[in-house]
Amino acid sequence: MQSKAVEGFMKGPINPNNFVLQLPANYAQTLHKPTASIVIPAGQTLQNFTTKANGSGALATFSLPPGVSYPVQIPAGVTLQTSSGHLYKVNVPVMVTQAPASNRILPQPIQHVMEPREQVAPQGAVASVAPSAVLQTIPPPAADTYTPAAPSTTLLHPSEPQPVPHQQHLFLGQGGALQPPGALQPQLTLPAVPQPPPLPTPAPVTPDSPGDDEFTLDGIEFSPQPLDMSQPSPFAAQLSSGQACGGQLGAGREEVGQDGGGSLPVNAGEAKAQLVEPAKLEMDLMRDFNYNDLEALQQLDGACDSTSEEEAEEEEVEGGAGADEDEFLGMINAEALKALQEAEGSSEDDGSSSDSDALDDAVEEVEEDPLNSGDDVSEQDVPDLFDTDNVVVCQYDKIHRSKNRWKFYLKDGVMCFGGKDYVFSKAVGEAEW
Amino acid sequence: MEANNDVALDIIITNVVSVFRTRCHLNLRTIALEGSNVIYKPEVGKVLMKLRKPRITASIWSSGKIICTGATSEEEAKLGARRLARCLQKLGFKVKFTAFKVVNVLAVCTMPFHIHLIQFTKNNRPIASYEPELHPAASYRIKNLKATVQVFSTGSITVTGPNVRHVAMAVEQIYPLLFECKSTMR
Repeated sequence: MQSKAVEGFMKGPINPNNFVLQLPANYAQTLHKPTASIVIPAGQTLQNFTTKANGSGALATFSLPPGVSYPVQIPAGVTLQTSSGHLYKVNVPVMVTQAPASNRILPQPIQHVMEPREQVAPQGAVASVAPSAVLQTIPPPAADTYTPAAPSTTLLHPSEPQPVPHQQHLFLGQGGALQPPGALQPQLTLPAVPQPPPLPTPAPVTPDSPGDDEFTLDGIEFSPQPLDMSQPSPFAAQLSSGQACGGQLGAGREEVGQDGGGSLPVNAGEAKAQLVEPAKLEMDLMRDFNYNDLEALQQLDGACDSTSEEEAEEEEVEGGAGADEDEFLGMINAEALKALQEAEGSSEDDGSSSDSDALDDAVEEVEEDPLNSGDDVSEQDVPDLFDTDNVVVCQYDKIHRSKNRWKFYLKDGVMCFGGKDYVFSKAVGEAEW
Repeated sequence: MEANNDVALDIIITNVVSVFRTRCHLNLRTIALEGSNVIYKPEVGKVLMKLRKPRITASIWSSGKIICTGATSEEEAKLGARRLARCLQKLGFKVKFTAFKVVNVLAVCTMPFHIHLIQFTKNNRPIASYEPELHPAASYRIKNLKATVQVFSTGSITVTGPNVRHVAMAVEQIYPLLFECKSTMR
């Protein structure tokens, strides 16, 4: 049940003592109190961190005092170390919250700084940090759906070798609103569900200037809502209709993807609701998560192809995801998307540019209507020729056609002809169409 | 040389090529499996769909671009293209018939006389080119009409141009030149 990634994590109540926050040296300047004391207002999301002199020089280490209340805001660039020694580097400001107990969450809400990318939300929209399950190293696969296209600075850079490659890939690729990273984000916020009300609270904090004593997470956007709003088009589009990722976020994601943002608030709501459950921290999940994303990406060009949906989405996908897709783990998705983009580039670009091009518009409008209404245009000549009892089941050597003359060189077959069955090892046929 | 303005020549249009766009992505596999009268060419990435009524063959790409060939008139080309779009629509794709354009028209015409190709080429030196070792016809390009005329010694000519009007004008333009070089060897 417990993933190996969280081995050594303490179970039971939070043990803040075991949580070591290592802040980069430059944080000292933002900290007004060089003392070792940490002032953490109880019950509030704002945290005031101070660095204490550390023998390691450039690295300031401090531990959360016992009894620290969550959620804890952690500015960008912080490296968090858990009691078990795992290091997590936070590239974006994150909110560490206590994960509620849930089957998906590790028994104890480790303060892994797995704040979902959403916090990172580049757009600078102030997102309230969803306090719930904070440290989900790996958001549930479903959550992958949504990645804030913007800065998506890797939310998490686990120092552990195994998960790193995967995650880093995912994170790096975020610039282009890659899906997998995106997916992470929504998930991360998922845990925050349990406290929807607090969502708005951190918001006021985050925009505060860095000069404040309190660490305000600049540019942190926690609330999935703002993120969704800003992000939806680039990565939502990526989601593309094909992805029917089951998963909570998956459902939300689809909405996002399809509606391109219109449903984001809904998605956010769903994300929040689902955050409660996933609070899972394992890196393994992340890997799986990514994998799901890959699958999801693959579906872009797969069986779930839906022309109407894709038309709108792929335009956005092409725009947003094209460059960044490559960064992903050589995915088929990238190739598929590229292929799609190229294939549809001409047609889709016309479509997208037609809005501005009046001539195209006129042509479009003029042409479209008649086709739809013109029933006489279509003519089904000989509609059901296939309804026949004469069937041949065989293998073919060669099928040849010249203009409308067909030649069939068949082998190893059985045919039911005129109610009788025949078996042949070779058959040659000619037909005119 | 008499300039014959009453050219009662029969210009027979043999092929009209047109293109149009459906403005939506097409799943070639679906078309290949569910469509009727289709030939799937995955190596090239297209599906050929043949229609009987206006006998046309259409190359369908997944991008939604469709090239329609085999029609014998511009109207027929458009009708066939619309029928084709209708077929795709019935397969379930949200097609829109847009950007229809006739891109090429091929017509043949027979002169009532033979033609001396070498003399014809000499008279129209830069515009006409004749390489008997490569091709038995002399090719004459009319730049302003963007039309190409291939002249055979039997008096038959083929004209290809962007539309029927240009093709007709090309025939009218080249007739006097051919008449000059007519060979009495008939």
